[in-house]
Amino acid sequence: MQDYNTDHPFDITFSEEQQMTWDMLRKFAETELRPQARQAETDGRPSDDLLEKIKSLDLISLIIPELYGGMGLAQDAVSNALSLEALAYGDLSLAMSASVPLLTAQIITEHGSEEQKAELLPEFVNGSIFHVGLGINNTSLSTDPYQSSVLADENGEEIILSGSKTGIAFADEAKTFLISASNESGECNLYFVNKDQEGVELEQKEFMGLKGTPLSQINLSNCKIKASQKLGGHNYSINYESLVDSSRIGMSALALGVCQAVLDYVVPYTNERVAFDEPISNRQSVAFMVADIAIETEALRLMVYKSAALKDLDSDFHKQASLTYRFATHHGMKIGTDGVQLLGGHGFTHEHPVELWYRNLRAIGIFEGGAGV
Amino acid sequence: MIHPLLPNQLQKTQETMRMAAEFILRPISRKYDKAEHEPPLEMEQLNQAAAAQKEQTGVGDDSVKSMDLGGRSLWAVISLEQMCWGDVGLFLARPGTGLGNAAIMAVGNQDQKALWGKRWASMAITESGAGSDSKNISTTAVLEGDEWVLNGEKIYVTDGDRCDCVVVWATLNKDMGKTAIRSFIVEKGAPGFSVARLEKKLGIRASDTATLIFDNCRIPRENLLGGKEEIETDIHAAKKSFGGAMQTFDNTRPMVAGMAIGLGQAALDMTRALLTEEGYEDNFGRSIHQQTAIQNELEMLEAELEAARLLVYKSAWMMDNKMPNSKEASMGKAKAGRIGNKISLKCVEICSMKGFSEDHLLEKFSRDSKILDIFEGTQQIQQLIVARQVLGKSSSELK
Repeated sequence: MQDYNTDHPFDITFSEEQQMTWDMLRKFAETELRPQARQAETDGRPSDDLLEKIKSLDLISLIIPELYGGMGLAQDAVSNALSLEALAYGDLSLAMSASVPLLTAQIITEHGSEEQKAELLPEFVNGSIFHVGLGINNTSLSTDPYQSSVLADENGEEIILSGSKTGIAFADEAKTFLISASNESGECNLYFVNKDQEGVELEQKEFMGLKGTPLSQINLSNCKIKASQKLGGHNYSINYESLVDSSRIGMSALALGVCQAVLDYVVPYTNERVAFDEPISNRQSVAFMVADIAIETEALRLMVYKSAALKDLDSDFHKQASLTYRFATHHGMKIGTDGVQLLGGHGFTHEHPVELWYRNLRAIGIFEGGAGV
Repeated sequence: MIHPLLPNQLQKTQETMRMAAEFILRPISRKYDKAEHEPPLEMEQLNQAAAAQKEQTGVGDDSVKSMDLGGRSLWAVISLEQMCWGDVGLFLARPGTGLGNAAIMAVGNQDQKALWGKRWASMAITESGAGSDSKNISTTAVLEGDEWVLNGEKIYVTDGDRCDCVVVWATLNKDMGKTAIRSFIVEKGAPGFSVARLEKKLGIRASDTATLIFDNCRIPRENLLGGKEEIETDIHAAKKSFGGAMQTFDNTRPMVAGMAIGLGQAALDMTRALLTEEGYEDNFGRSIHQQTAIQNELEMLEAELEAARLLVYKSAWMMDNKMPNSKEASMGKAKAGRIGNKISLKCVEICSMKGFSEDHLLEKFSRDSKILDIFEGTQQIQQLIVARQVLGKSSSELK
């Protein structure tokens, strides 16, 4: 029955450092992200000013090794999850403007070859944080999430990639893409593809949610790359399942931030909204919906913490991450829909953010590679 | 440090108690489900196993060592979760501790704890006219000289027949509502105290559920739990005193919720075992395109159970760390109660005629699980408590 190895007691207390980061990011989410969520949706992207502010949070340069100009302070999974939750409390799309490049930088730092790191990591600190576009989401419905809808034909010095990936954030600013592809032996790895390479086609896409982040599809047809363009070098193979699982913990942490936003919005609303001469929250049918949102949100929080803590122990976290993302998917959607329901017709309009959260929460369980721990 | 994980030593406790459940409880599970009202004789072994664990881990008290592991309540939840993986009914029927013991430890003074702390104490609150609205109880207590005289009838008293003593809720003055409610310790054999009958039930049949009669029942004056004889006239003080009694539930709800988690896990494990015989394998993390309907269903149920488990552990951990945990205790109880019930019923469906059959225990789990969403506060009462706290409402605003 022993699942993992630790002598530390059960605990759910923030460390001092976590508390400081939490306070800072939560404030940023409330004062910078939340007020700009609607405008970013309309524009299809965050304002330049906001992107500058997101960059200057230094979340990314923090983890880039000193050798490449960063601070070299690798973060534990739990702290990463807390940051994601805090940011998503403001807005999911805008949080992803930080979380996607952060995940990309984490992947390159952890798995990149020396050459790849030297070439790509400094720019996260000095230039654009979107110079590498991450392509994880599959286009075909039935592809196993631990496999790719892009196929890699690995033939000695040359690799040929064919297929499509979608939901790539800020593809317009990218010079290079990091794309997952499955090879003949069923291994899934990541490959760098340059934007100007032959056989690369980009299409801007619109989705029902996440509209504040520009998202694109990449179509690769007989796209020939060098073996050295495989992440980690031509002999490297990544534990892709673990990468997806880590990303799912991240996505669940983002979902958690949005669920908490819904709860904190419906409490004052249902307390103030009067019908039949009293606040609607005086009725059990309304109050119990709010109670359930609170219960499931708290449960999701603990699921996220536990998955991240298991990862930090270097234990097998596949099952826990799977259960967590499953829980986030189901209850995220439920909380999204209940949030709108509690506001009635008002919730259906752009007057309130609940319809936006409803649409964004539907991305949970579908979107992969939007954040990582 | 955010670390919602169990230290190695608690995982060993889990393992040991799971073994005890498997080898002591499971073999007699069906026997006492059939032989309702027959006291199980094999339970001493289980108590010995639990006592040995307590000794070994040193969590039986509030010592520093106990906190190194996460604390006594968390230890208790983890142990009983495993025992209830074996059998909830038998767990409730094990001699020695009942809900009354939790009340004595929570509300009793030092002398009372010393005198009755180690006796088997059941808890008598419910009456035919007062369930979740416990302030409406009509059993009365009147002081005559150095004795209290109790009159009334209590129902649904778990362990009511087999226990050594009962913690009885009674009112000093029916007109004064909850401010006048006190709890009293009544020993077996007290004059005027009798067991009227035992209920026949849907589940947890190994555990006795009694109707108790107090007919001019006389008990010593010092048996008033907590010792407060005067009725508070100050409304705030009064609220506080009833709240004190209700606080017992903040301690016991994580325990009952833990029972539901153990039962839910038992149902899932047994379902997997039956499915494995027919070639089933889990497929966690795959999409709905790769999973079979059963893989998908079991993954979701497992996720719900794990979520409930963490809520319950958190509420116990808060108790160990002396944080107010009323909201969290109710969150855990609400989630665990409904999920334990849902899982057990769903598992019967998944296992079809084997699930429905008395050849296996799934049908029993699904009957046992229902009470866990009812006693110690129903699902709806837990939601009410959570809702009032989240929305900042009084009981007169949110009824």
